[in-house]
Amino acid sequence: MNLRPHHFLLWAAFIALMFAMPQFVGNGTLRTMIFACYLAIFAISWDILSGRTGYISFGHPFLVGIGAYTTAILTRRYGFPVEASIPLAVLFTMIGGLIVLLPALRIKGSYFALVTLAVMELMYQLVPVVRPDLTGGTRGISRLPALTRGAENGYYLAAGLMLAIALFAWLLMRTRLGTALWAIGMNEESVRGSGLSTTRLKSFAFLVSAAIAGLGGAFYAHYLGTITPRAFFDINVLFQIIVAVLIGGAGTILGPIIGAFFMVFMLEWLRPFLPGQERFFVYGLIALLLYMYQPKGIMAIIDSGWAKLRGART
Amino acid sequence: MNALEIRNLVKRFGGLTATNDLSFDLAQGESLGLIGPNGAGKTTVFSQIMGELRQTSGTITFMGEEISTLSTPDRIAKGVSRTYQVPRPFADLSVRENIRVGLMPDSLRAMIFGTGDTAREGEIAQSVGFATADLDRPATELAMGDLRKLEFARTLATGAKVLLLDEVFAGLTTGEIAMIAELIQDLRQRGFTFLMVSHDLPAMEPLIDRAIAIERGTLLANGSFKEVLADHAVRASYLGEG
Repeated sequence: MNLRPHHFLLWAAFIALMFAMPQFVGNGTLRTMIFACYLAIFAISWDILSGRTGYISFGHPFLVGIGAYTTAILTRRYGFPVEASIPLAVLFTMIGGLIVLLPALRIKGSYFALVTLAVMELMYQLVPVVRPDLTGGTRGISRLPALTRGAENGYYLAAGLMLAIALFAWLLMRTRLGTALWAIGMNEESVRGSGLSTTRLKSFAFLVSAAIAGLGGAFYAHYLGTITPRAFFDINVLFQIIVAVLIGGAGTILGPIIGAFFMVFMLEWLRPFLPGQERFFVYGLIALLLYMYQPKGIMAIIDSGWAKLRGART
Repeated sequence: MNALEIRNLVKRFGGLTATNDLSFDLAQGESLGLIGPNGAGKTTVFSQIMGELRQTSGTITFMGEEISTLSTPDRIAKGVSRTYQVPRPFADLSVRENIRVGLMPDSLRAMIFGTGDTAREGEIAQSVGFATADLDRPATELAMGDLRKLEFARTLATGAKVLLLDEVFAGLTTGEIAMIAELIQDLRQRGFTFLMVSHDLPAMEPLIDRAIAIERGTLLANGSFKEVLADHAVRASYLGEG
């Protein structure tokens, strides 16, 4: 895995910075950061499958939604404690994803993307009408048990979860398995021609991605307290996840985090000037310009700046 | 025991017969040239041996064991591997990481918890002619000759003893052809077995013990390089004579 002392130092500094935040910012900013943390979790989850292997999933909100709805139904309809409902939500997301999306991994490119998009749209149409007594129909489910009280505790939970997931993903991607997933994105035939079962590798990446999406979705649902089909199985959720990864830098761990924070805060900063939907237009334009300037995202800009700095020193 | 035994191999794509009742053997340590005009079905034969294409009928035996129904990774694990007409490197990975993919065991647990063998990665890179300074170069920076070497290295990293080389000299300069030819000769001396396709017959001739010629998937001739090239049917189909 080739871990060096500076890796641990950088991670420790990052964790310390995240946990010191409540000392410097107000509750309003903390609440914005909570949303950014959850978006970062979904973005890391998407990146493990799509950013690495090149299988672009348009159905990721479907996985997030399974996690959210499972824990909501179990806690509100069946009285499960949250400690049991969240692990079950992760399990259900993995199983649901396996049944519905895994077969789609046999097809490639835009076909895979379209199938996953169709699955998400199907879910959006089905959830309100199939067993509305369980799902709450279009009105969803409200008064979910909260995991924390107050913005600060909510922030610590969201940031802790995001950091734990990021560290796990970082360690996993530094193994040879991470290299193999990355290689699939470059040339799947050559990976198979190197003697590796790409079906097994893609399935594993998909399961890890689904587990993280389900975990994030479940925690997010309890943070929100209310869930509706439109809040999860929606194309805007999908765009936010994908744009966060692309802006930050696909195939990296910090990239999706940076992208998620960049997006969420940019929308908030635009709010006083453009309170309506126009800010999404401005935000889209900024994202597009950034993507045109550096398709590999903010991480590539940071990397090249760092390389120049080191070059200037030597 | 032969390294490879191909018996009555047939591959049909709808109404097109790409491989037509083809049979031949490849002895251990032998280097066999497979020649034929464009569209003769040479690459299709390679793809069937590697399991990338499933044959319509016929059998493929490797070291005495029938492998006709095995997956590509399982065939590679047995010890046969191939290169491609156009090199297929992992562009954003370094030379070392490209070789690492070839060295990986086909086991998730081993890939996650096992430790890589960086010394072995370096050895394989050096065995095909890379310098130590090249190990961290990304594949995107390599010239065509180096990409061919990299493909050799990744193929060797799988542990294969039988190598199928598809259009091994395509796109190379004269100097690069000499470099790759020298590498193949070196590997022959180390006991590797080759089945080789090339349109560059003068370059291929010193590298093979024997040749077979096919046209439209049908065997035309089997013998020494000179015998095969002197064959009337081969000259008619491949060299456009008669």
